[in-house]
Amino acid sequence: MTPAGRLLLALAWLALLGVLGWAAGRSLDLGGDLRDFMPAPETAEQRLLIDELGEGPGARLLLLSIEGAPRETLAAQSRALASRLRAEPTIALVANGDADLSAVPERLRPYRYLLSPRASAGGLSREALAEALQQRVADLGSPAASLVEPLIERDPTLELLHLAERWQPAASPQSIDGVWFTRDGRAALLAVQTAAAGFDPTAQERAVGGIRAAFGSVRAGTASRLVLTGPGAFAVQVAGRTQREASLIGTLDSIAFALLLWVAYRSWKAPLLGALPLATAGLTGLAAVALAFDGVHGITVAFGFTLIGVAQDYPIHLFSHQRAGLSPWASARSLWPTLGTGVASTCIAYLTFLASGVDGLRQLAVFTIVGLGSAALATRFLLPALIDPTPRDVALWPRMRALWRRIARWPRMGFATGIALAGVAAAAVALAPGAFWENDLSRLTPVPADALAHDTRLRGELGAPDVRYLVTLTARDAETVLQRSERLMPVLERLRSDGAIAGYDLAARYVPSAATQRARQATLPDAATIARDLEAAVAASPFVPDAFDGFVDDVQRARTAAPLRPRDLAGTPLAGSIEALLIDEGDGATALVTLTGLADPRRVAAAVASTGARLVDLKQASESLVAEYRGRVLAALALAAVLLSLTVWAVLRSPRRVARVLAPMALTTLVVLALLRLAGVELNLFHLVALILAAGLGLDYALFFDHAGDEPDEQVRALHAILVCSAVTLLVFALLALSTIPVLRAIGTTVALGVASNFLLALLIVRRPVHGANA
Amino acid sequence: MRTPFVELRGSRLLKAPLRIEGEYQRPADDVLVRQVRVPYVETSTIRGGGVTIARGAASKTYPLDRAPELAGLQSSFGALLSGDRALLENHFRVESAGSRERWTLRLVPREKAMATRVRELVLHGRGAELRCIETCPVKGDAQRTLLAGAAQAAAGVREAAALAALCAGTPAR
Repeated sequence: MTPAGRLLLALAWLALLGVLGWAAGRSLDLGGDLRDFMPAPETAEQRLLIDELGEGPGARLLLLSIEGAPRETLAAQSRALASRLRAEPTIALVANGDADLSAVPERLRPYRYLLSPRASAGGLSREALAEALQQRVADLGSPAASLVEPLIERDPTLELLHLAERWQPAASPQSIDGVWFTRDGRAALLAVQTAAAGFDPTAQERAVGGIRAAFGSVRAGTASRLVLTGPGAFAVQVAGRTQREASLIGTLDSIAFALLLWVAYRSWKAPLLGALPLATAGLTGLAAVALAFDGVHGITVAFGFTLIGVAQDYPIHLFSHQRAGLSPWASARSLWPTLGTGVASTCIAYLTFLASGVDGLRQLAVFTIVGLGSAALATRFLLPALIDPTPRDVALWPRMRALWRRIARWPRMGFATGIALAGVAAAAVALAPGAFWENDLSRLTPVPADALAHDTRLRGELGAPDVRYLVTLTARDAETVLQRSERLMPVLERLRSDGAIAGYDLAARYVPSAATQRARQATLPDAATIARDLEAAVAASPFVPDAFDGFVDDVQRARTAAPLRPRDLAGTPLAGSIEALLIDEGDGATALVTLTGLADPRRVAAAVASTGARLVDLKQASESLVAEYRGRVLAALALAAVLLSLTVWAVLRSPRRVARVLAPMALTTLVVLALLRLAGVELNLFHLVALILAAGLGLDYALFFDHAGDEPDEQVRALHAILVCSAVTLLVFALLALSTIPVLRAIGTTVALGVASNFLLALLIVRRPVHGANA
Repeated sequence: MRTPFVELRGSRLLKAPLRIEGEYQRPADDVLVRQVRVPYVETSTIRGGGVTIARGAASKTYPLDRAPELAGLQSSFGALLSGDRALLENHFRVESAGSRERWTLRLVPREKAMATRVRELVLHGRGAELRCIETCPVKGDAQRTLLAGAAQAAAGVREAAALAALCAGTPAR
């Protein structure tokens, strides 16, 4: 084939990949919900955690403060922002201290006499009415007359206003000019609950964007600024930073990859052709996952692209072994047993992820197996048609030759030395101080320290609920759970007055049980009584006789209506707070009690236990979930190691060769673990994934050194190929190791260390002594 | 600065308009205090987009954005009491008429939210003295606030017509 024809074929391949990428992108539903990447929860706490992670009141809460302007400006902007946000579809609830009557729709307003305890506690007696009417006269003479006048015809005791005030969070911040302020009075505070789940980064991004835009127009040129914190805001911030840094590193990596290949082969076509199998791996893997699964998790894609990094090495072996007089097809055929063994054993190892029972890991298995398989097949059956058949033989490069001669004089590592190294590394792994595993999910994607400080400050000021502890109460249905919540409320109130907690929130605070509502109905005055008492009170007041006709109707409707159930609130602004606090699943209902200013968890746990409620530690549940997850990954890996060894055994069929080929990756894993442990690093899932990649690379290096045999020219070519492979990988992951983001740093450091160690150990263990005169 | 006032507040819910006496105070540029002395004691403070009404031990705050006429009251009143015409022009179209001895200013709200509730404010004055603010809502009767000299002249006067005449500055018959 002519050079022009080869180039055309390469471009056609590229175009085909483009089409595949486009098709995969169309059916790709990329999700960011962390829950999809977690194993199925088993304990009640874990189930709660999985619910809490996305839907819980804590995860959906955003804390806002407006600061940097005079107090009056801040108060006005807090009100303006709240009223804008209440109209946003992405926002479920806005609280800024300003009691919002619009939370109660017209049709539910008669229920005020059932939801509030005042009416049934004598709030509608003749004396109470007379006193209320006096106050209403003064209201009509006040600056708020136009606000109050339309309300009082049906509601002369302003029950609705009392209700709205009752619904304000129990531990509210101080109120200045009717809106919440920090204790020093320098910042106005708002609490916003998003409609979307907390760990759905795209939905949170929309909500956060909406809030910023609304503030932008409210701010209108004043000096004030908005501080926005909370899990959703953090998720957006961290995702943005990770993406920016990863894409910067990705760009640098591409440039480095191209330069290195260009230098290594003195050909501008090498980087282009070298990238084709990797691109093939990525796109076929992505397409396979997009087709096989409903939604692809973002972490699958990130981990997947890390693991298929091995595919970058496939074309390099082909390039380094190509020389005049050898057809590329023949070269590919002779390399295939070695390349194929590496790919097959790695793919068989990944098969174990399919049996892990975790959807995210199954996706990862499909992605890597399809990706690596197609990259290997492409290298075997497509790439030979494209490469230059007559490059300079790297075995004849004087410098390569000199390097090879120097290396050939190095001692080879024997069995005893290997065992000793393994022993030292294992001892370091076992004896290094510090915790072995990092179980805290949040540390994988840490929030910048200044943002965390803002969050702590706002949480304290706003009395935001504790994110770690929750009280739960479970019963067979919503009504029973509400009744038991009402029995729990005096206990919580006692804990509050004792200072064990600063406040609490639960669904029964908004909607009492049907039993309580029926009891209140029984004490409401009948039509004749209320009409008589009202008439007497009106007669003694400046009001016209028929001013409050609607009021008598409303009280009668409240007396006879079916009690309000939580689900009747669907579609109202109140639904947000209640749905988050009351999980009604049909086969049982759970009430969540959020706590504020929790001082003594053990005391709270003991106190609530008397009513059958439980204090749940979400952090512990999350850590047990992570530990279980890791357990499954480790079990899969143990099985994978066995399968991989068997595959290599089946191909090489000599115990000595098998031991030599497997030794570098096994030793490297131990050495890298030892180095990480000695450096004080606590290991997490990302380290594990990185170690898997490093092991896969190590296997390939060892196989190719083994393949080279004892023939000098072949050894020089293998050395060149493996040198280029490890240099490229080392460069790519060393850049990643420089990242400021712990997840990227963990992967980068581990793989970079692994590549260096694998290269050296493969050289020292697998390389064979040379036969022949020209050594 | 402070000035006495007499107000008549009518409502379709009341048999007769409510007569209120007290004092307006302006302790700071963006704060307006309305102190009611008769027939009950009440202090309202308009500040930072809210009005806080304190009566006895109880106090309640209402947001101004749900009662745009209150926001207008704060800005117009503030501007008038401090004689800041430019500030007034920000919120209203201003038309003046009459003589120095008996002038009127018609203020038509520029802001849409306020214009849907308040048709116009008519201010009556004599020389440097603002004597009466007439608030004409889109629906319902005008509310009058007699200030300064007019408030003093209104002492003991109870009939609505007489108070309306005092507001407009026509000599009482």
